[in-house]
Amino acid sequence: MHEMTLAISAIKSVIEFAGDNGIDEIDTVVLEIGELSLVVPQYMEDAFYAAVPGTMLEHTKLRMDIVPGNGVCRECGRVYNIIEHRGRCPRCGSESKDILSGEEFNIKELLVPEDGPD
Amino acid sequence: MLRTIEIKESVFADNNREAASLRAELREKGLFLLNLMSSPGSGKTTTLVRTLEALRGEMRIGIMEADIDSDVDARTVQAAGAKAIQLHTGGMCHLTAGMTRQGLEALGTEDIDLAILENVGNLVCPAEFDTGASRSAMILSVPEGDDKPLKYPLMFTVCDCLIVNKMDVLPYFDFDYDAMCERARKLNPGIEIIPISARTGEGVEKWAGWLRDQVRSWKEA
Repeated sequence: MHEMTLAISAIKSVIEFAGDNGIDEIDTVVLEIGELSLVVPQYMEDAFYAAVPGTMLEHTKLRMDIVPGNGVCRECGRVYNIIEHRGRCPRCGSESKDILSGEEFNIKELLVPEDGPD
Repeated sequence: MLRTIEIKESVFADNNREAASLRAELREKGLFLLNLMSSPGSGKTTTLVRTLEALRGEMRIGIMEADIDSDVDARTVQAAGAKAIQLHTGGMCHLTAGMTRQGLEALGTEDIDLAILENVGNLVCPAEFDTGASRSAMILSVPEGDDKPLKYPLMFTVCDCLIVNKMDVLPYFDFDYDAMCERARKLNPGIEIIPISARTGEGVEKWAGWLRDQVRSWKEA
């Protein structure tokens, strides 16, 4: 269950960022989770909502954008989804590849209420 | 209306910064910290006891045993003559740099040259969290199988040294040592691989030699 540590770490970073930038309300935190990262989105969601009570993110929503785990075959150059094809190039069958995307676990962005003209 | 503020920072960034600052302090103090990882039952504690015997009289060693609960391992290494503390992670499957720093403070580092962190027995999460250690090593034992580099690639990628333990039982298992080494080196070409048997003592001197060299070069740098 490393999701709890990561959720707490993400929440801490977001609160710090908000403090540094004078943001007092956040509607949505957007996390970017790669398919090849060892983070399970469902667990992350549970951990996030379990950890926010009592913080400024108590009523903030969580959105998770999943980044596909893509690689490029070192033998034939084909770009393919590593999860879908179980790590094996669908064209030539080689397992040798360079990972292009899908290892990230980032705080992508924050959605904050626009200052109204009132 | 909502406004989007782009951040694009890794959630690991916070831990990575803390780890880098801990590593810099250790370098300053001349204290070497080894992060030792493996799955449960690979023989970490037995290997540690052998390591203590091999380095006895040469350097002062302190050990931090991380476990979800219990102090069985700390008592075992204390009996072997090391200064040791038990870190309870309270259900966490890994240690962060912050927890490692707290552990070092509790252990007390003034009178030691080498601190060894026995991480939680798990090949997944500990690989993701930089503890701030000078070097990382892992133990894979023969009964676990030669396919582990394929199943837990990150662990094999982040370690500087791979100890292959329980070599004495190799004849009884379908463990292809050369294939395992090839898989590990494919992930991490620079990894040092040292076969040992903590039970018989075979190979322990080579492992202790690797560790001795690492501690020496860390202190000199």
